[in-house]
Amino acid sequence: MIKLRMKFKKHGPIRFLGHLDVMRYVQKAIRRAEIDIKYSEGYSPHQILSFAQPLSVGSTTDGDYMDMTLISCNSPEEVMYKLNGVMNEGIEITGVSVLPEKSENAMTSVAAAEYIISFRDGKAPSFDISKTMEAFMSNDHVMAVKKTKNGEKEIDIKPLIYIWEVIDNNKIHVLLSAGSAANLKAALLIDSIYKFAEEEMKEFAPVFHRLDTYLAGDDDNGHYVQPMIMDAVREDSFSVRDGVKEGKIYV
Amino acid sequence: MNEKLALSDEILLSIQKPERYIGGEVNSVIKDLSDIKIRFAFCFPDVYEIGMSHLGIQILYGMFNEYDDVWCERVYSPWDDLDKVMRRDNIPLFALESQDPVKDFDFLGFTLQYEMCYTNILQVLDLSGIPIYSKDRTWDDPIVIGGGPCTYNPEPIADFFDIFYIGEGETQYRALFDLYEKAKESGMSREDFLINCSKLPGLYIPSLYDISYNQDGTVSAITPLNGAPSVIHKELEKDLSNAYYPMKPVMPFIKVTQDRVVMEVMRGCIRGCRFCQAGQLYRPLRERDVNKLKEYAITLLKNTGYEEISLSSLSTSDYTHLDELLDFLIDYCNEHKVNISLPSLRIDAFSLDVMSKVQDVKKSSLTFAPEAGTQRMRNVINKGLTEEDILRGSHEAFEGGWNKVKLYFMLGLPGETTEDIEGIGDIANKIAVEYFETVPKEKRNGRTIEITASTSFFVPKPFTPFQWASMNTKDEFLEKANITRKGIMSQLNQKHIKYNWHEADASMLEGILARGDRRLSDVIYNVYKRGCIFDAWSEYFKNDIWMEEMEKAGLDPMFYVKRERTKDEILPWDMINCGVTKEFLWREWERSKEGVVSPNCRQSCMGCGGASYGVGICFEPKINN
Repeated sequence: MIKLRMKFKKHGPIRFLGHLDVMRYVQKAIRRAEIDIKYSEGYSPHQILSFAQPLSVGSTTDGDYMDMTLISCNSPEEVMYKLNGVMNEGIEITGVSVLPEKSENAMTSVAAAEYIISFRDGKAPSFDISKTMEAFMSNDHVMAVKKTKNGEKEIDIKPLIYIWEVIDNNKIHVLLSAGSAANLKAALLIDSIYKFAEEEMKEFAPVFHRLDTYLAGDDDNGHYVQPMIMDAVREDSFSVRDGVKEGKIYV
Repeated sequence: MNEKLALSDEILLSIQKPERYIGGEVNSVIKDLSDIKIRFAFCFPDVYEIGMSHLGIQILYGMFNEYDDVWCERVYSPWDDLDKVMRRDNIPLFALESQDPVKDFDFLGFTLQYEMCYTNILQVLDLSGIPIYSKDRTWDDPIVIGGGPCTYNPEPIADFFDIFYIGEGETQYRALFDLYEKAKESGMSREDFLINCSKLPGLYIPSLYDISYNQDGTVSAITPLNGAPSVIHKELEKDLSNAYYPMKPVMPFIKVTQDRVVMEVMRGCIRGCRFCQAGQLYRPLRERDVNKLKEYAITLLKNTGYEEISLSSLSTSDYTHLDELLDFLIDYCNEHKVNISLPSLRIDAFSLDVMSKVQDVKKSSLTFAPEAGTQRMRNVINKGLTEEDILRGSHEAFEGGWNKVKLYFMLGLPGETTEDIEGIGDIANKIAVEYFETVPKEKRNGRTIEITASTSFFVPKPFTPFQWASMNTKDEFLEKANITRKGIMSQLNQKHIKYNWHEADASMLEGILARGDRRLSDVIYNVYKRGCIFDAWSEYFKNDIWMEEMEKAGLDPMFYVKRERTKDEILPWDMINCGVTKEFLWREWERSKEGVVSPNCRQSCMGCGGASYGVGICFEPKINN
């Protein structure tokens, strides 16, 4: 038995697939590639496969993850090549690592996610993005209304925004807390910024691109987050900036 | 991969299921336009999930794309939400693969699987910016061609089509494409091209036929023009085992109705049920070679990654090598974690044994289609299934652990009496009794028998022995559904029997369109203009508008529905020959009135006319049993 974690990117029209359909797509690709994946027991066996952090419909990614348990394989890289050989629809595996057998699955280990948020043509905000972000983040608390299963809840999102910058005064680059403990959706952040600027957002204005998904850890220097796999990390990611070792960002 | 999308992100994010419109599915075909002479847009005029479940398109899509000079793409009806947006923003309808406007294509092909899709044809033409009526089209528009079961009476939609392809698509499309390329190179007029098409076998060019009517509304004459043939013979694939079969079916991203490998094991049916149109249209029965099917199954599962395979045909139990094929599939599929789905299997010891190997007995249900409540009525419709068969099958199934039974019946069959209708409740009750007698209380484990009886309303179809028959009216149907319900309620075990019935309005319209004539084309256009689309979906079906427009056109629904036709009447579809002769159908109509059963094609030949194709069951030795 071998547990693999795969990093994948998703671009092009396939960004309009819902999360469940992405899973179904990958399940069939695994079968086409004849990967020796483990199945659950019972009358309707399913593949032992889990996805980290769903991405909203319409968004693209360079750093999403899935874990799968295999009965056998020649090498992790071969699994990656075989899968890429049967997928030509805009999803591509860019990295693979072997997980210890008793590791947490992809879903539960997510701790942060990094996004570049841009605006569709003709839909950019009229406010100055850099100045607004400065002012927005200079508050001690940034309250936002989060929709949960049990209704609405007001929370302070400031501690959930780990790093931020504005690029070319038209894009927002952020590292946000993610996962089951404290999840900040990029869409909620954008809503809050518009509210702060007292501007009505044009419908479908923001475009979300996920750069990477992070897990958490602790070492002598403290608590950090780090891309789940360091392969194929984009140059402009916070995790490869000067002074960051092994992609670790202390938060 | 094609990165281009015809719809903006804003639209795709604001409609339901954007995946219906983005193309790019696994095994969809992208070609380089510079190599292409013919662009073919293939449309199933209903929502994506229905259209993508259709095997016929997959076969022809694959076959056309094997041709170097042809690029075939797919088109489906935009769902109501996108339909509104496209009209509002003047977005032309596009094909999925290239996302290019359909209007720029050489051909727009429709598969016509049921009558209730007719307004959707107009939706697709309209959204594409193609003139609705054939007579208004020029070379700037695609050639609009229709195929599939509804083309055996294409008259109600005759004005909208340039060509109807009568019969199985495998045989004549290459010749049609060659003719088209020649016509384009030689600068031939569109009219002359269509006249030339009429000389190809199986192609019916409706504009080349003049239809005249008697005072009473019946057809007085069908007059071919410009040398068009007086009769168009159905095209038939004579060598099914060696015919093209798609090994890389296009796989939808979203869940669709038929979300599995579909393997057609044979075409045609030996049974000759008198209400069934498909049973006549696809005659004679031809089987695919069992060794080929084994190879297909493995290749299809490998090329798709599907977790399920379904064997498809009109009556899979009649496939000669079913045991051998299933033995093979059960072994292969167990090893590869693939489910086998077996629709249309006759319930007997063999099928129960197979089903217990491939399904969870506790969850699955048995399906019987007795179609009528008494043996007398089943003899009238020539449905071979007897009460004894049903009770024996149920008994064996209950012993095997099943406890759910589904029963399908039709109401409004010719000559039906109250006794026949009440028989539905009787047979359901007897199945319940069989359960209680077969499974002693201590073995039921808290479970009990669950029976679902469903009735649909019988609609007479062209090219069946009932094509001359009177159809019931809505009131008659509803009364019969009521008698059925009361009949079930009066049974001792009624609390174990659930009863469902179909809507009657939709059946009436289906009846009008199925046996309608060319005068209905304008009615269809008028109801479309008043907003009718997706008539097959009860939430969109607007019966009042249809009835109003029929009245405005001076057409009486009862003329099409209620009227029993005489032997000498010219039927609107008499220019079509489906291989089965009118004489045979009339003989069967007479036999049905006497309640005489006809043997199936494997037992003895009834001389239907199908043998003229020179292949299939007609030339196999008969088995008397």
